[in-house]
Amino acid sequence: MIQGQLTRLSRTTHGIAYDSTNDEIIAPNPLAAAVVIFRGGAIGEEAPVRTIQGARTGLSRPETVAVDEKNNEIVVGDPGDRRVLVYRRTADGDAAPIRTIQGPKTKLLQIVGVAVDPVRDVLVVSTYSRLPGGVTGLLMFGRTDQGDVAPKRVIAGPKTGITRLRQIALDPETGKIYVAAINNEYLPPYDVDHPRRGLDPDVELPSPWNTGSEGFIGVWDDTADDGDVPPRGLVKGRSTGIVHPAGVTFNARDGEVIAPDAVWNGLFTFLKPELFKRGATEHQ
Amino acid sequence: MLVATTQAAEETEGAMCMMPASARETTGASDGGQIAIPKSSNVEGGDLPPVRMVVDPYPSFNGVTVDTTNDLVMMSDTNRKSLVVYDRTAGSATSKEAAVPRQQIMGPETGVGFVAGVAMDPEHRELFTVNNDVEDRLVVFDYDARGNVKPKRLLYVPHQSWGIAFAPKRDVIALSVQTPNMFVVFKRDAKKFDAPVRSVRGPKTQMADPHGIYFDETHNEVVVANHGNFRPGELITSYTAYDARESRQERSGGKLDENARGKFLPSSVTIFDGDAKGDVAPLRVIQGPLSQIDWPMGVAVDEENNEIIVANNGDNSILVFNRTANGDVPPKRVIRGALTGVNGPMGVALAKDEIYVANFGDHTALVFPRLATGNVRPRRIIRNAPAGRETSGFGNPYSVAYDTKRQEILVPN
Repeated sequence: MIQGQLTRLSRTTHGIAYDSTNDEIIAPNPLAAAVVIFRGGAIGEEAPVRTIQGARTGLSRPETVAVDEKNNEIVVGDPGDRRVLVYRRTADGDAAPIRTIQGPKTKLLQIVGVAVDPVRDVLVVSTYSRLPGGVTGLLMFGRTDQGDVAPKRVIAGPKTGITRLRQIALDPETGKIYVAAINNEYLPPYDVDHPRRGLDPDVELPSPWNTGSEGFIGVWDDTADDGDVPPRGLVKGRSTGIVHPAGVTFNARDGEVIAPDAVWNGLFTFLKPELFKRGATEHQ
Repeated sequence: MLVATTQAAEETEGAMCMMPASARETTGASDGGQIAIPKSSNVEGGDLPPVRMVVDPYPSFNGVTVDTTNDLVMMSDTNRKSLVVYDRTAGSATSKEAAVPRQQIMGPETGVGFVAGVAMDPEHRELFTVNNDVEDRLVVFDYDARGNVKPKRLLYVPHQSWGIAFAPKRDVIALSVQTPNMFVVFKRDAKKFDAPVRSVRGPKTQMADPHGIYFDETHNEVVVANHGNFRPGELITSYTAYDARESRQERSGGKLDENARGKFLPSSVTIFDGDAKGDVAPLRVIQGPLSQIDWPMGVAVDEENNEIIVANNGDNSILVFNRTANGDVPPKRVIRGALTGVNGPMGVALAKDEIYVANFGDHTALVFPRLATGNVRPRRIIRNAPAGRETSGFGNPYSVAYDTKRQEILVPN
């Protein structure tokens, strides 16, 4: 357990990444507009080894992080200002990003997941939108893209089964993207400190955990898939125990897909060794 | 904590009970407390059972409040998403068994989810709890409610509301709200989209990621516990997925204040005038290394004996300050140490010369004499699971990573 004020964590942490090359843990702190990096074996009330925070960082509400171990970079998804920021892995303090993706062409909105494939030079962003014309799905950028650039490909649409999504994970060995499709609906009733404009005062908002929809873990290919395409692999259904999964990762060595589920406040591990075979492209 | 294999799941004859059967029978909890595991599944369609799962089948206490009129103690349960009510004197110093609650409110109809703060109103016989990070609603039940029942009243609240302070003389409730660093005050009987009657928010307030809140009507003060994570107002936006007007770009006319930055402040307790409104400075601030305040969660005031009691989550302790303490001052008493059983304290309450502590780090709530200090055993332990059962520690897990070196799964809350 890592906790306490010296850790510079918050109890609102919606992203995490592990850097196996450098044995470090990376986590965003949206409440303090910061990213904190710990040694891999950190325990208790232990201070981070580095903290990215300050006016030059461009951080506003960092929600999600990924690490590019090959190119020594940390990628941060920040929905506060609708941007993806890339830092040197060793960035510390009030460090400016080395690249930023932001602007209307990007289609970035509610950014909830980022992942990097340094083998195929792909940067994947999961984002959702309830605005007309907005994207709820995966945006595929070039790894070194920056500025107001359009995604090279977009995976979104009814065939994907995604109605709302959260964390993503990417296996550079296979190019597979693992997606936590939470698929619930959540309409915030408040705009910060006052009731949201335009809502019917008599409306009864559904509980985000009692929507009748079903979440899943879906798997797509980060170079072959484009548009409204179904997932190549699935973890979905009553047997799985998962209802609305918000996170996903994998243990490639043992062929396991791992997902926390907020409904059950629990963690579920599934055996899917076929997903981790090199060259596996069939629907599984 | 339950680490179950598929085989173990099958041995439960098709269904894994997520709550002790005895508790279901006595408390009225619904079938919403079960995960069904069918005998067969469509594996090719992805419908495969997990090979392992970490699910805690017991409640994990969070907020705590005491009704001395009816001799009841109520706690919120973040893990199983419920409210649990016990007799005020429930528990024992030595029993290893779970205490039997008088009632439990739980299930999809209740609107009880990732709950935190709680309050009881014996005059109107109402129970309150507020959802913290997801549901954005406060739900109100009758005193006799149990099982999977709809709330008698529902109030939509700002995202990340955490603590509840009930002020019966004023007939209002105050809620702390983490992200905007504020507290808001509603009429007790507010419902649906009724707006707060006032809010306290802004840089002068010195609030930073507030959690516990207490309305001291004797001295007309509001006490707020702060973790210390701070963003200025310029960086605080709503959820842009739903309304483009709410993004920082639109609010600022496309020009972002790139000098705005987050920062870490030392954890603190801020004390405000009971009539505070807007961006106002606190009357007093307890903060600094001598104070030992570290991720304070629940907070309570002993209005008669002039003391502030803090559930100090960061270092597993209970801190007691003079009510008028100000600045970097040490607590007058500290309950800390292995004998105390204080483990991830979240809620704290004071009633009838006893301090109630809701632990999140294990399956207990503790009751100490008011003047307890040091490494002392609790007078009573209210267990929600048999002694020795671990907790997962999960609080609404939204992401995960795998540590390939240690073969460990990392789960932030």
